[in-house]
Amino acid sequence: MLDRELVSEVLSVARAGGADFAELFMEDTVTTNLHLLQGKVKDAGGGNIYGAGLRLFYGTNVVYAYTNDCTREGLLEVARAMARARGQGGEVDARGAGGLDFRSLDAQKLWNVREHPLRTSKQAKLEIARRAYGAARVGHVKTVDVTYIDVAQRILVANSLGDWSEDERVRSRLMVSAIAEDGSDRATGYNGPGAALGMEFFDGDLPERAGAEAARIANAMLRAGYAPAGKLPVVIGNAFGGVIFHEACGHILETTSVAKKASVFADKLGEKIAHESVSAVDDGTIPGAWGSINVDDEATPSERTVLIENGVLKSFMVDRLGELQTGYRRTGSGRRQDYTFAPTSRMRNTFILEGDKTPEELIAGVEFGLYARTMGGGSVSPGTGDYNFSVNEGYLIRNGEIAEPVRGAALVGNGAQDLLNIVGVAKDLSRGQGMCGSLSGSIPTDVGQPHILVSEITVGGRA
Amino acid sequence: MTANTQLKFEEARSFLLSLAKERGVQLEVFAQRGTETTVQAFGGQVSEFKLSSKQGVGLRALSNGAWGYAYTENLSRDALSRAFRSAVENAELVEPAPHAVLAAHAEPPAMDLFGEGLSGVTVERKVAVALRLEQAAKESDARVVTVPYAEYSDGESETAVANTEGLDRAFKELHAYQYLGPLVAEDGQNKMKMAFQVTREFEELDPTATALEATRKALALLGARPAPSGVFPAVIENECMALLLAVFSGIFSGKMVEEGKSPLASKLGERIGSDLVTILDDATLERGLSSRPFDAEGYPSAPVTLVQGGELRGFLHNTETAAKAGVSSTGHASRPSYKGTVGVSPTNFVLASGEGTRDDLLTQLGTGLLLTDVQGVHAGANPITGEFSLQAEGFWVENGVVAYPLDVFTVAGNFLDLLRSVEAVGSDTKMSIYGAIAPSVRISSINVGGQ
Repeated sequence: MLDRELVSEVLSVARAGGADFAELFMEDTVTTNLHLLQGKVKDAGGGNIYGAGLRLFYGTNVVYAYTNDCTREGLLEVARAMARARGQGGEVDARGAGGLDFRSLDAQKLWNVREHPLRTSKQAKLEIARRAYGAARVGHVKTVDVTYIDVAQRILVANSLGDWSEDERVRSRLMVSAIAEDGSDRATGYNGPGAALGMEFFDGDLPERAGAEAARIANAMLRAGYAPAGKLPVVIGNAFGGVIFHEACGHILETTSVAKKASVFADKLGEKIAHESVSAVDDGTIPGAWGSINVDDEATPSERTVLIENGVLKSFMVDRLGELQTGYRRTGSGRRQDYTFAPTSRMRNTFILEGDKTPEELIAGVEFGLYARTMGGGSVSPGTGDYNFSVNEGYLIRNGEIAEPVRGAALVGNGAQDLLNIVGVAKDLSRGQGMCGSLSGSIPTDVGQPHILVSEITVGGRA
Repeated sequence: MTANTQLKFEEARSFLLSLAKERGVQLEVFAQRGTETTVQAFGGQVSEFKLSSKQGVGLRALSNGAWGYAYTENLSRDALSRAFRSAVENAELVEPAPHAVLAAHAEPPAMDLFGEGLSGVTVERKVAVALRLEQAAKESDARVVTVPYAEYSDGESETAVANTEGLDRAFKELHAYQYLGPLVAEDGQNKMKMAFQVTREFEELDPTATALEATRKALALLGARPAPSGVFPAVIENECMALLLAVFSGIFSGKMVEEGKSPLASKLGERIGSDLVTILDDATLERGLSSRPFDAEGYPSAPVTLVQGGELRGFLHNTETAAKAGVSSTGHASRPSYKGTVGVSPTNFVLASGEGTRDDLLTQLGTGLLLTDVQGVHAGANPITGEFSLQAEGFWVENGVVAYPLDVFTVAGNFLDLLRSVEAVGSDTKMSIYGAIAPSVRISSINVGGQ
């Protein structure tokens, strides 16, 4: 993407104020966005994200800058401004002088994209969206929105240690929203499968399944009553149900909060923090998975990181800065939305591993509780561990059986406490796709889990 | 990719418009550029310093009666030409929009959103604000354990809209803001609260006051007790009410109405709230966070009343949704950035104030809930149905005074029921970080999920 000599010069100029480390990130990203409302093409757009970010470390302090002007003069101008940013400009530090001899990292190619979206017509992409729409028009569904997205992000990361890494990340996604209506009752359903794959992701009946799932939820919830309020045992569904682990636990295992002691798990490495039935990983190496990466945004190869093993905290998610701050080994977790963000430690594909129960066994053990079958999103306050997430599709459990549907409720609690309350884990692991928002922007991540039983969670419904 | 020569912002616009005129395509160019400085403090040092410079153009082509979009941050001639071709190609895929039109709209009002500018503010002074935030919080109370978030940020930006019908206008704006989140601890309980200040003048920032506000809010939450489950009368504090208002503002969008996604769709002229409820949107407020002289189509800004004394009077519109509804645009065409498509969004969304302080409302309440914040609105609030079920923060009130803070609990209800249940509106108007503005209100009941 850029000439090696130029990159070397830019990094050297940026370090002229005495920085310990300099890194350049550049991207050239092409996106396609198609939006179908009621089967008709409402919007067609997309475009070109194009820019470069430069990062300097002075000890563990960071200077970051970005620009859209990736010409030689544009980049050098930013580098010079950065060298002056700490007010000690002008002095050329010994470490800043001289050219860099870049070595390309051994290219870790975990999977290949077969059908590149840029070589596929937009008509073919619209056809995929239309198939999802057709499958969603069932029962009482009156309104269907389908959004088709593909992204091809070409990146370059190079740093003053001599690391040089280039990659292309292709991602495809379909998002279906269905609104069911009957008289004055309304309910919504959603499904949004995605992958780090090209058009081959849509092979088979994936579009139909996505449409049908959104419609199924909307129809199921149309005549639902309100969930009860208070503390109840809750069985949480698999796939996107894993958002509970993502919010309640994942975010506070990122070194960004650990390093500032703004995490309730900061000093707990090697300690038991969850029920012994709980093991969890953050795995960036699953071929084609939505949150997978060959290499992170700091040129560290991706890996499978075991976070919790049989209830014991095994590792945090560590980026380059987190490694400097905490001394923990880097885990290839440095990620960012785009060049406008400095990378921070982030999740990739995070999920709870399989246990030995069946979902039916978990439900059978509950006399009165909630079955949270599909989930919406959530959030957490890292300092306190207080989290929330919303139930899109819920049912009451009465005498060990699934009973009447209840409308979306919030589940709230405290991550450190509720991990200990996961008392049963089934063997039906699957994953769901989402966009995770945090300090370094919005990035694709998978959440996942088998069905789990939590002995007690506060359910926000109507008393 | 070659490092192509980048056109200047203005050159890029005129290059695109001349391309469009050559090809006989109607084109709108929405362009933004800006610079920002961000300083984060941690442990008495600058932990992160960020400088940014960003620009990009969003194209909207009207070709054979249909809109096609494209954007680019690469302003080389090649990339701009590619974006133009892409916008025209995209228009061929899209259903024609019978009311689509580009025009040279009336002149916008003159507004100063730039103040004194930032050119006279040194880096040292910006750094001092960030450091002061952290230091003031730490000095304020021994129970402040750490300040994980302390940040100063400023920015200058320019937004320009031009089209082939002769419209060409731009405005500059400035913001300077600070926020912090101190972590406080006592008896094994951790609490964190954010406080912020946003201004259009650097000189107005008061880091000590914001730090004290954040610490005071966090300390007030210590000693929390389990919340009861049940239905209780409540006072919703101004900032929290403004947040709820912002989250549900979409129900007033003419686009949501047209697409059958607003629960207010068939209720024009009907009573939708108690007669104490008046809601308006005013993009021309002198001190508003979202103020602007014109919208994303270049249409001039003006205040609009949506609910008057509980009666639904109208919706927010851009030119297209307005034409479909048989009314005039209210100047609420929006684009999240040049990357996005044109929709409808509120600006400074306001619940008009009434009489009485928050304490007056608490006295009227007697016993019940004081709701001070909600979390998880992106998932737990549904603007299509009006339903919400959210993580909440607040206090139990007894005999008209705050008795104690509550452990994490939930509130649930429907936003339209909430508007109908308003029994008093205070005068203590406050702006939330989302740009909505509201006073504290007292409502007859809300569902609480706790113990």
